[in-house]
Amino acid sequence: MNIDHFGMDTITLAGPLEAKLQAIREAGFTQVMLNAVDVVGHPGGEDAPVRAVRESGLAVTGFQVLRDFEGLSGHLHAYKVDVAKAMLAMCRALGSRVLLACSSTSAHATGDRGVLVRDLQKLALLAVPFGIRIAYEALSWGRHVSLLGEAWEIVRDADRSNLGLCVDSYHVLAHGTDTAVVDAIAPHKIFLVQLSDFLWQETRSREDRIETARHYRVFPGEGVHSQEVGALVRKLDDMGYRGDYSFEVFNDDYKQLPLPMVAARARRSVKWIAGLVSRRSLPARRIIPAAAR
Amino acid sequence: MLNSLAVTSRSPLAAEPIPEPSNPLGLDGIEFIEYATAQPQAFGALLQQMGFAAVARHRSREVVLYRQGGMNVIVNSHGAPAGHPTLSAMALRVRDAGYAYRRSVDLGAWEIEPHAAAMELNIPGIHGVGDSLIYFVDRYRDFSIYDVDFVPLAGVEVRPPALAGLHWFGVVQAIGAERTRDWLEFYGTLLGFWALPHGRFFGVLPNGTLLESPCHTFYLQLIEPPPATAGPRWDEGLVRVGFGTPDVPATVRALSERGIVFVDRGSVQPSDRGALTQHYLGSVTFELVVSHR
Repeated sequence: MNIDHFGMDTITLAGPLEAKLQAIREAGFTQVMLNAVDVVGHPGGEDAPVRAVRESGLAVTGFQVLRDFEGLSGHLHAYKVDVAKAMLAMCRALGSRVLLACSSTSAHATGDRGVLVRDLQKLALLAVPFGIRIAYEALSWGRHVSLLGEAWEIVRDADRSNLGLCVDSYHVLAHGTDTAVVDAIAPHKIFLVQLSDFLWQETRSREDRIETARHYRVFPGEGVHSQEVGALVRKLDDMGYRGDYSFEVFNDDYKQLPLPMVAARARRSVKWIAGLVSRRSLPARRIIPAAAR
Repeated sequence: MLNSLAVTSRSPLAAEPIPEPSNPLGLDGIEFIEYATAQPQAFGALLQQMGFAAVARHRSREVVLYRQGGMNVIVNSHGAPAGHPTLSAMALRVRDAGYAYRRSVDLGAWEIEPHAAAMELNIPGIHGVGDSLIYFVDRYRDFSIYDVDFVPLAGVEVRPPALAGLHWFGVVQAIGAERTRDWLEFYGTLLGFWALPHGRFFGVLPNGTLLESPCHTFYLQLIEPPPATAGPRWDEGLVRVGFGTPDVPATVRALSERGIVFVDRGSVQPSDRGALTQHYLGSVTFELVVSHR
């Protein structure tokens, strides 16, 4: 495992997109995880950020984030389908093969498993013509899906080749979930792994999880759950996951620091993780789903 | 009271898990294939060599209808980009075009915006692979869609017979690497296509995966790029049509007499099973496949 397997996330850095891309590239990263705000908030319109990403030479790890998609009905569902289509179009324009979709927090969403499965199947079908894969993530404050295991059951039942999971270490840690939860997941259905840690032992409430997630995450190796993060990465590696990692680090302090300094911390984190799973640089075993054989 | 009875008597039935029919749209073959080209005369001349005859012209656009037997080909030059002709759409015969459209969009297809002018037919459709479209047509038995939008050409046979029994056999689609399952799910979910057992092919190009229409009248062939080759760019899209004919050698002779050249080297030389024409106009080929329909 080396830095080529990691995308640094633009949400960690302050400033304009071009400066973020430069800092990420100069820190030695070859991938970047992009956010819709990078596109729609760009003063040069939508074409300029697409051009900037292409000219940076950085590969795009993924594009985030579609929120509150599943479980709605009527006009709310139609509205979210429009949002999803716009996100997919941006995702394609940026050259991203992965769109991140978080479990719904909407009070208007049903928890009916059949509806959630059906809606994610629809999202996956919308993404097929663009060649985009949907990575479904259990937000630890999701209304009906807040645990990785719950998200996996829905992805498994939906059974769509371009629908998989995003495993986010923060949400696993914030719930105190045993990392053994990934043992039940088919490795080829993990489309992205997002890594981060935080600086206190526990998040005691839903509000605490939200606040910590949005403001106080740190890079792996910098927090107090290094053992658990390490165990999770080793477990994923052992089970055959060979996809990309990104650093999902929302941190208010990092947004006040010079970009090269933050990017250097991200690079240090890569080194820390690579030390845990150094043998990943060996040729990867190719995982072929049974249905595709 | 009546309302109440209606609701209670309907509810259990609605909840009963009855599987969908295997042909949910009442698919009934190909109504027309559309090519987009900025060289309509050269392309039209090629179609005529293949046995088609120009039979009608669109009322408001630079579009010509060609026909032989039960096959319609629309040559669309209205705003067509410069460059090679492209296979831009397939129109499928269905039981109810409105239902087919609504069901497809509900399941996650991208709808196309209506573009009919006043007094013209609005043919509903969805986006397919690449820039191609899939139309749904339900007026093909006792009413012709071409009677509305097209003006017959003077002095030509409106229903020219098919040369050598030619009929639609299928459409070949290039897809990205490891995208077969995505497209199987797309065509299976939306249209009811199903994959033939691995290794079952027709014709002289036994590549990829063959999907049979639920009406058993035509096929889609999905072809991934050859593994580990640095060949020409491999974009997803519709690449050629296949014509069925009961006697391939006789058809090859008849078409050769009309100036069509077939590839006669390697594994694709004409045989009883099929034949492949050379490339015309930079990108267009036609395939013959033995078929006794």
